[in-house]
Amino acid sequence: MVRKKLSSVFINSVGLIITLGIAFLIAIFLIFVLSSTPARTIYYFFIGPFTNKYYFGNMLNTAVPLVFTGLGIAIAFKSSIFNLGGEGQVYSGALIATVVCLSLPNANGYLGGALALISGLIAGSVLAGLSGFFKMKWGTNELISSFLISGAVVLIVNYFITGPLDDPGNSLLTTCAIAEQYHLLKIFPPSKLNISTFFGILSAGLVFFLMFYTHWGYEMRMCGLNREFSRYGGINVSTYLVMPMALSGALHGLAGGISILGTYHMCVKEFSFGMGWNGIAVALIAKNHPLGVIPAAIFFAYLDAGAKAAMLHSDVTFEIAAIVQSIIFYLVTAQAIYSFIKFRKRAPA
Amino acid sequence: MSENGFSLPLIHNTVGIMTPFLLAATGGLFTELTGMLNIALEGLMLIGAFFSVVFAAATGSLFLGILLGIISSMLVALLFGSISLYLKANIFISGLATNLLAAGLTVVLSFQLFGSKGVIRFENISKLPELRIPFLQKVPLLGDLLIGHNILVYLSWLCIILAAVVIYRTPFGLRIRGTGLSSPTITSLGLSPTGYRLKAILISGFTCGLAGAVLTLNLGAFVPNITSGRGWIALVVIYLGNKTPLGIVIASFVFGFAESISNYAQGAINIPADFILAFPYMITVSAMILYSVWRHYREYGK
Amino acid sequence: MNGITRLYAENDVLANNNVDFEVLENEIHAVVGENGAGKTTLMKILYGLERADSGNIVFKGKEVSIHSPLDAGRLGIGMVHQHFCLIPEFTIAENVVLGIEPLKRKFFFDSERAVKNVREVNEQYGFQIDPALRVSQLTVGQMQLVEIIKILYRKADLLIFDEPTSVLTEQQINRLFSTLRKLIKIGKTIIIITHKLNEVKEISDRVTVMRKGRVVAVKKTAEIDERELSRLMVGKRVIFQFERDPMPPGGVVIELKDVTLREKGQERPLLDKVNMQIHSGEIVGVAGVGGNGLGELEDVISGLREVSGGVILHNAEDITRLSSLSLRERGLAYVPQDRLFRGSSLQSTVSENMIISNHHLFLKGGVFKKKEVQAFTDELTQHFSIDGDTKALIATLSGGNIQKVILARELATRSDFFVFSEPSWGLDVACSEFIYSKILEIRKQGVAVLLISSNLDEIQGLADTIVVMYRGRVVCSFPNTRDLSRELIGEYMLGLRDDYQKIS
Repeated sequence: MVRKKLSSVFINSVGLIITLGIAFLIAIFLIFVLSSTPARTIYYFFIGPFTNKYYFGNMLNTAVPLVFTGLGIAIAFKSSIFNLGGEGQVYSGALIATVVCLSLPNANGYLGGALALISGLIAGSVLAGLSGFFKMKWGTNELISSFLISGAVVLIVNYFITGPLDDPGNSLLTTCAIAEQYHLLKIFPPSKLNISTFFGILSAGLVFFLMFYTHWGYEMRMCGLNREFSRYGGINVSTYLVMPMALSGALHGLAGGISILGTYHMCVKEFSFGMGWNGIAVALIAKNHPLGVIPAAIFFAYLDAGAKAAMLHSDVTFEIAAIVQSIIFYLVTAQAIYSFIKFRKRAPA
Repeated sequence: MSENGFSLPLIHNTVGIMTPFLLAATGGLFTELTGMLNIALEGLMLIGAFFSVVFAAATGSLFLGILLGIISSMLVALLFGSISLYLKANIFISGLATNLLAAGLTVVLSFQLFGSKGVIRFENISKLPELRIPFLQKVPLLGDLLIGHNILVYLSWLCIILAAVVIYRTPFGLRIRGTGLSSPTITSLGLSPTGYRLKAILISGFTCGLAGAVLTLNLGAFVPNITSGRGWIALVVIYLGNKTPLGIVIASFVFGFAESISNYAQGAINIPADFILAFPYMITVSAMILYSVWRHYREYGK
Repeated sequence: MNGITRLYAENDVLANNNVDFEVLENEIHAVVGENGAGKTTLMKILYGLERADSGNIVFKGKEVSIHSPLDAGRLGIGMVHQHFCLIPEFTIAENVVLGIEPLKRKFFFDSERAVKNVREVNEQYGFQIDPALRVSQLTVGQMQLVEIIKILYRKADLLIFDEPTSVLTEQQINRLFSTLRKLIKIGKTIIIITHKLNEVKEISDRVTVMRKGRVVAVKKTAEIDERELSRLMVGKRVIFQFERDPMPPGGVVIELKDVTLREKGQERPLLDKVNMQIHSGEIVGVAGVGGNGLGELEDVISGLREVSGGVILHNAEDITRLSSLSLRERGLAYVPQDRLFRGSSLQSTVSENMIISNHHLFLKGGVFKKKEVQAFTDELTQHFSIDGDTKALIATLSGGNIQKVILARELATRSDFFVFSEPSWGLDVACSEFIYSKILEIRKQGVAVLLISSNLDEIQGLADTIVVMYRGRVVCSFPNTRDLSRELIGEYMLGLRDDYQKIS
């Protein structure tokens, strides 16, 4: 029995290694085709993020919001619910957090900051929770409804950033900067890495605890794996259509909030684009395990940072990272790879 | 009438602006009917946009540009389809991958070929020919709105009419619809649902390639991420149009009109452009919710 | 078909064991047997949906290999499945011609000719149905007719029907049978799978009886009566003898009054005014052949499906519309027929499966007391001698052990009302006897037990009161006595007797 369990871990990790291996091979191939100095480019692409404190810190900082969004998606997936509204939830969380900070220019940094983050969290949670509610009440497909709601919300947030909240003194399309006392403490200067890193680690721990040690986590996972069984066992199944969605949205909103307080200090138009989608990839690479989300997010940030370093020090462009990420997306859920490994493992026996 | 001063050009513009939505949604309709959520429309369109303008500039021929743009888009669609259907990847994730690949590939290539990641102008590209089809002009009331568009606009109309014919009047269309409605039935007859799905994805590659060409060839330039969410909107158009060709035409018009107003609105009227653009999303989501409420009460009584 | 053997590797069930099966041209051949006797598997092999592990098929004097429904179709073999393969949104004509559509101008689908072709088939066979109708508008009987038209359109000579009458009303059955007779007249050959003996008598020329994957008899229908058939079908089995001490009747724990369940679009209710009382310390055994309302009774009484009419009382309080959660709080324990999807979550660990019914007992401030959970699972595993690691996925356990996990978990809840549905299905003798002893144990403790089973040995061995259901109705209810003959019960099960004849 133990052997069987081990082998599923084995299959998953071999599958992941194959996926990442193919992605890296394609990266190296692309660099050879595109770069006139491939050795230098490969060096910066793979080693660049570790060459100085600024790169390294920023890489970790990029990972932080991805940890939150990845956790949010993992919770939803574990409950067999799909939240495709991540983009809008992050963006609106960021806007609300900014607005709270801007409207309280002189408040205490901790209290006001906490208020801002919680408001952002609630914003995301309400947006996602709506889709869960419609699903529970009338069976509306949450995948499409969350995506559509998010599509509308992104545009409305855009309006506030470029309209009523626009900073006329800044040439960027952005709101005014939030007051100094709200800035999260930097922990690894000169990089932008700040104490939100610990929030991220803490959240992963909390979600892990919630999922595997508590009553709600248990009921949620059971509903995700088998709704019929859960109903049979006396679990209130409809609760677990709304709750995971709201939690997922909350984590997305929080990702937006901490990006403002920790990194950007103002809500720049479209700054959060990609955080929601990448959260899905992070969760999938982590196989929806809350603790796996941390390395998966760092890996994603590493690809980003590597491409940035390669761009600065060599002659390729940053978007190489997008191509490599897309290869990983393509292969990470490919069932055929995993069944192939299974088949190969069984064949000699 | 005094309003005609702005409303006629506005609607005339709309007819032009809706074309990419209409084309992408036409192809997306096929994949949707086979029961797949095809979010790769955006990426396929972007590929078509880039390659059609680049090849048009390289060959000096609009026709070859469009053709090669479509072929590129179909090749990426083939990649997307094979990975989803044969490697059995989650179609949603591989769709995301396609969008990401398109965004990355177009910028990387434009940087490599033209040394710029910004707007790339192609001076040597001739304008798309505008057509004045005489019999359209004679259509009462609408005549003025239907004429004087470029050739791709008329091609998009041809595409949607063709799509309607294929979907409702050919065995292929019957089987495409059957695949989405009940793939076990298709299997029980010894036909292959996977085959029809792949064909649908290739069709979406074709129309998205064309949709992309509309964007860049109109402009004579490539702008990074020129599709800016139009593929997503095309998906919404399919839902708003209730998965029928006529519905898609109407829904594309709604989105085209919203965009046209928002272009016009800068300073002219008081509703902010972003709100107008958000409006169709809200209509679609409300329609979806109302539909599920209706279905819920029909199935469970009171 | 000669020496067909089909072994389901997944659960080591020998569905067909060296089966020889022969159909003569232009006859109606019935295949009968209880659930799980291997009838459907045999027919699926003939139709190419499944492959035989050994054996061969000879069709019209030639050995053939049938790998897919396409091969079967080419040979002229068609099958009407129990669950229809139709697209509800399409018209009848579209459904019939799908895959071999008539064309006009080489490219277009000729819908008029499709309608015309189907009309021709209709005329040829005397069917009266408008091919332009949408399938979603049809009754179940009409849908079946469409399936028949579909295979006739494909020029099938051998038609296989898998339990065609299970979803039909009396009139629809009559109509189907007259259709079948018509088909025979024009030279077709028909195989009909069923477990309803009156139908066998009425329609078939010859009959093959299957039991446990083997053919036990092939007879001319005219030379055999229903009682003999029934005996062949159920076989002579050893009835387990249990120590069932007489119990003083306790109070009524559960009462069903006129409980009715209807499905939309179906004329016949799935449960038709079911009345039943279960006393404390009493085992009520409900017997019946599959498809006669046993599963629905299970769903309704466990609160997983809402009734259309009638009331269910628990200790004289109305519990009809309570959720399964409230029912469990009131003391319901339930071992479901569907162990793999309702009874367990295969992708969860044994331990997680063990606490589903009472996980709230192990909480402190919302957090699990892991040690207590572990102690609880360990204790149950040991007590019920469950073979397997509690931290492994339950999917890695054998069927018998999974059932023990479910049983252990349900017995561990404090309950006064227990539902067992097919508790020993597919289990070996030792495992079944273990479960029976547990059922008798809780009876002694004064629990009211509802035992739903298609296994007569089980019912006769355990129940205090025997209830038989046929077509959603209770057809008899009497105290279980040793001298009760299984033939008599069998006659009730097969609809040959009815104590509560409907006044109509």
